[in-house]
Amino acid sequence: MSASPHAGPAGSCDVAVLGAGPAGAAAAIEASALGLRVALLDEQPIAGGQVYRAVPGIAPVRADRDRAEGDRLRSTVADANIERHFCHRVWHVERVDDEWRVHALGPEGPRTVHAAALIVATGAQERHVPFAGWERPGVIGLAAATVLIKAQRILPGRNVVVAGVGPLLLVVAKAIIEGGGRVAAIVDANARGDWFAHARDLVSRPDLVARGIGWIRTMRSHGVPMLHGHILRTVDGDTRSLRAVAAPIGRDGHPHAEVASTELLCDAVCCGFGLMPATDVTRLAGAAHAFDPARGGWHVIVDADQRCDLPGLYAAGDGAGVTGAAAAPLQGRIAASAVARDLGRMDANARGARGKKRGSVRAARFGTAMTQLASVGDGAIASIPADVIVCQCERLSRRVLDGAIDDGCATINDLKSATRCGMGPCGGRLCEDTAARLIAIRTGRTRTDIGQATGRPPLRPVDLDALAGTFDYDALPMPVPSPL
Amino acid sequence: MSATSANRYDLLVIGAGIMGATAALRAAQGGMRVIVVERDVAGSGASGVNAGTLSLQIKRVGLMRYALRGYEWWREAGEAVGFKRTGGYTLAFTASEQALLEERMTKKRDAGAPIELVSPAEARAREPALSDRVVGASYCAADGYADSTRTGPYLRGLLRAANVHLHEHTLARSIDAGGDGFRVATPGGPIDARRLLIASGAWTASVAAMLGVTLPINVRVNTVSVTEPGPRRLHAAIGHATGLLTLKQKANGSYLIGGGWQGRGSPATGRGEVDGETLLQNLRLARFAVPALAHTRVLRSWTGFEASVADHYPLAGVLPGVPNAYVLACVRGGYTIGPCIGPLVADLILGREPELPLFDPTRVLAVTTRDGSRAGDGRVPGK
Amino acid sequence: MSNSDLRITRNVHRGAPIRFQFDGCGVDAYEGESVAAALWASGIRALPAGDGDGPPVRALFCAMGVCQQCTVSVDGVRVEACRTTVRAGLDVRSRP
Repeated sequence: MSASPHAGPAGSCDVAVLGAGPAGAAAAIEASALGLRVALLDEQPIAGGQVYRAVPGIAPVRADRDRAEGDRLRSTVADANIERHFCHRVWHVERVDDEWRVHALGPEGPRTVHAAALIVATGAQERHVPFAGWERPGVIGLAAATVLIKAQRILPGRNVVVAGVGPLLLVVAKAIIEGGGRVAAIVDANARGDWFAHARDLVSRPDLVARGIGWIRTMRSHGVPMLHGHILRTVDGDTRSLRAVAAPIGRDGHPHAEVASTELLCDAVCCGFGLMPATDVTRLAGAAHAFDPARGGWHVIVDADQRCDLPGLYAAGDGAGVTGAAAAPLQGRIAASAVARDLGRMDANARGARGKKRGSVRAARFGTAMTQLASVGDGAIASIPADVIVCQCERLSRRVLDGAIDDGCATINDLKSATRCGMGPCGGRLCEDTAARLIAIRTGRTRTDIGQATGRPPLRPVDLDALAGTFDYDALPMPVPSPL
Repeated sequence: MSATSANRYDLLVIGAGIMGATAALRAAQGGMRVIVVERDVAGSGASGVNAGTLSLQIKRVGLMRYALRGYEWWREAGEAVGFKRTGGYTLAFTASEQALLEERMTKKRDAGAPIELVSPAEARAREPALSDRVVGASYCAADGYADSTRTGPYLRGLLRAANVHLHEHTLARSIDAGGDGFRVATPGGPIDARRLLIASGAWTASVAAMLGVTLPINVRVNTVSVTEPGPRRLHAAIGHATGLLTLKQKANGSYLIGGGWQGRGSPATGRGEVDGETLLQNLRLARFAVPALAHTRVLRSWTGFEASVADHYPLAGVLPGVPNAYVLACVRGGYTIGPCIGPLVADLILGREPELPLFDPTRVLAVTTRDGSRAGDGRVPGK
Repeated sequence: MSNSDLRITRNVHRGAPIRFQFDGCGVDAYEGESVAAALWASGIRALPAGDGDGPPVRALFCAMGVCQQCTVSVDGVRVEACRTTVRAGLDVRSRP
């Protein structure tokens, strides 16, 4: 790698980019093209994020459009003049003395990257709505199914129920069929006509609409039962012999008492209820967030140049609001340009990535429409039976959470302190959205007032020995002993 | 102020942590009509986020009598606060640490704590998980811990049962002092009281400033970490000769690591931040002391604010220069000691003689004032 | 070399077949696969519950290092199975 004209001390760079998906990769490459010294960090062994996820060693013989796009992304990242830190888990970010310290753990041990600017491009995470049995072996996420099928080339099952809401339902169902499996049924919380409500925004991307229509045709031609306006209420049975019960719901998400449920026999259930921005890094950094259902819920607030409200902090891609893979690269480039300008490294005449607004607006409209199609009414949450486990890590049922809410828990942090909901290893990623909705339903408070759980390090569980490394007892900088 | 005496409280306490709540309870017991206002929820400050250590070995010599009494409150609270009497070891790994340990523990034992010095072999025989690098140790059978997250709900229950009014999510915005007492402005409206107790933990200085009193309070930002559950290896609570480590394995198998390593932040923003570097040092010290920590995963680290003054003794008594106003804060080891000292201050407020000496806040003003005209001689109280 | 019925056979290049250990039993896999995916393909979907009793937790849910449910021990270190690549002879345990 040729020396950057602005080389700093080892372990330091102009900008650290977290996440090597479409937004992060584009940000890193653009920043490098603008002459900045860039460090790109990602947990996975290669670039691609979730949407273009792949593993070294497993590849299709004939790449489809997504795979080709992902391979292109990977090769531009590999060729770029940047520091790449793959297989690195970032566990803390802090701003000290006008620079960011990004603490990560990689295969060779701990590493701290010092950067003047930080671009957070950590993408989205899946929203889950609990049902009886959602914690059983054999039930996986929709996003998990895409990882299994696309990256690992393994089917979730041979006869799979695909359930939840949003565009991923068809993506997963199609992938299962292409992989030689059967889809026992698609259980879609949206009513059949919901797609048309968003027709105006969807036609901003006719290519993607055509693709979606093609997928629906595939379902029909394979005789896949499509249960529109239904949600899963129960899954039981044994590992590969599962019984799923899907109930019809009204517009508001409440099950119809009088209409019969449908029983589905299958060997796996894939479920997911749309994507939400992953806000853990920006929360930890202390940036301001807002709640907007059109963007997938809580998201970090960014200006037109992808700047957050903290100096030196930027966000791009689904983490700033779920707008999809098409909109992500442009946001990444915009963020990189903003970094270069803010660091005083951009030529005043340089074009930068401020243009191409129209393409960005179109892409974002489509992405937003997709996000709005990936929501389910409050009734689906309100009708969760009391015994259903909401917080899987701490095994807390809805009944326990309701009790704490009735006792006065008004914010998600209150609920967390009172019940330990969200204090387990997953850090609330599976349960916080549901818990917040329960508070909203029960108290009438807004999601904004209910808030997000306070961000705390480590961002993901980290091995204590790996963090501590080898050290000399005598070298520990002991502060003065406490007073006698 | 035109409030009628019907809706004027006898005592308004600002802060529903251990200090404020136990003082409020005692005052109510003594016949006063009491209200507690709390900016967040009961026990959301240091009382609810500390590592839960109830160790006599880490208490100051001058506060040992108070610690012994406070400890009894925790023991009686029992299961409601997750109280566990596990015994505790304090460890030394170098000759100078051992000297420090012996000197300190001898004094603390003389002050009333059942502490004995033990050999490394004895310590490791009883606690095999301890490092083989221990060169000296002390043991106290009474040491243990409680679940600090239960502090808030427990205090809330006690306050309710005692008919003490508790207004949570209620910030005291300003305080007017007049002939009849105090009027505290809150988002829910003004509250009147004849007497005022400031028990606001790390926010005590800013609350006192509302009455024009400047208290030279320092705020520390203590870091605590918790790991995933692991196999049961450690039974006793573990400390370090310097006081810079607390380590325990909870009933569910997870380890709680503390010791006062400093993060960043201030009560003004309400937000503390974990410092990555000091966190690592804290974890290293814990790992060194108990090698069984190897390969547990750290789940979460957080910070809590702890207030103190220069001599590291409490502020417990009248608020200087303001009649009928009192302050209780800056108690190092406040988690253990709070339930003793809160009621003592309440006794003062009730006009009774507290059973143990209090800690006159005017002494800190005497130390910092320039013209030397104040009363108070800076003498260390409690002796 | 066994190939479970869940491994997709059309349009795929896999790495070499390898074998690793899970709780003392041999599991067939291919280079490049994650431990969680390989277990899933072998029909192993459950891990014994952490506290000994209670229903089994599962060996896969999110497949991306978020849910932590697939946490296993490799050489005594707790790792997410979905983020651990299989290696010949890898010794994976469900409990520490």
